[in-house]
Amino acid sequence: MPGRIVFCGVGALGSTAAMLCRTLDAELVFVDFDRVESKNLLSQVYVKPSIGKNKAEALKLQLANFYGVKAEAFGVRLTRDNTTTLLDKATLLVDAFDNAESRRLLSEYACAAGKPLVHGAISADGTLGLIRWDERFTPDEEDTSGQATCADGAHLPMIGLLGAVLARTIQDFHTKGARQDALVSLSGVLLSG
Amino acid sequence: MVVLNITYNGLSVDYPLEIDYQISDHDVKRIAVEVIRSGHVKGLQIANLPTNTFDHYVVDRFHGPQNKGERIYLRPRVPFGA
Repeated sequence: MPGRIVFCGVGALGSTAAMLCRTLDAELVFVDFDRVESKNLLSQVYVKPSIGKNKAEALKLQLANFYGVKAEAFGVRLTRDNTTTLLDKATLLVDAFDNAESRRLLSEYACAAGKPLVHGAISADGTLGLIRWDERFTPDEEDTSGQATCADGAHLPMIGLLGAVLARTIQDFHTKGARQDALVSLSGVLLSG
Repeated sequence: MVVLNITYNGLSVDYPLEIDYQISDHDVKRIAVEVIRSGHVKGLQIANLPTNTFDHYVVDRFHGPQNKGERIYLRPRVPFGA
């Protein structure tokens, strides 16, 4: 039976990693309530015709149109009321949310349901990224509320690098059951776990 | 032995700490400032690094494989995925 990998949040990191998972023998599922804005073209995988569309739907369409890859999309916000409906069949959960509250919600669900969950996270200035499995992850709050993210395109190579490491982590789990953490900086990629 | 990994300004460097006791997060941050100022961290030498540089940083602690000592990570916050 192929796996079912659910990407929670398909912004900069989630969309980049998902795109690099398109050759896996698995069902890809995207959950994101947000819409594609023109500024997102700077740091996310979305293309101009996707502007205005829901991100989960847009990513599903891009995979289908460009690569002939089928995926499933849920253009909704993840809440306590819909976690079971959206995530119940998942064989792997991928957290690429942009806030601590959603990360905690996902973590609580994964823990209660016994689902494997890997988190991807990047600092606001785009200098550090982390890949950590749930058992070793604690969500960070923003330094200041509404803090600027690395969304201006200046950190696209770092987002690409971190997205690639996250995709490889997903691949290693999907094919071998491996659970490796990674710390990604300009010095390189430090694997652990 | 404890390995302290410091990530600052996009660079991530390991620094061995010869201690055999539990140190607080505050001490980890204080030590990191001192060793960077003194030039003991390869690739990270900033003589005038401000004392409060790591005030908002996160300290993570993990045990290495087969109990090969503790690893302490001093890193910026990473609140974002999207």
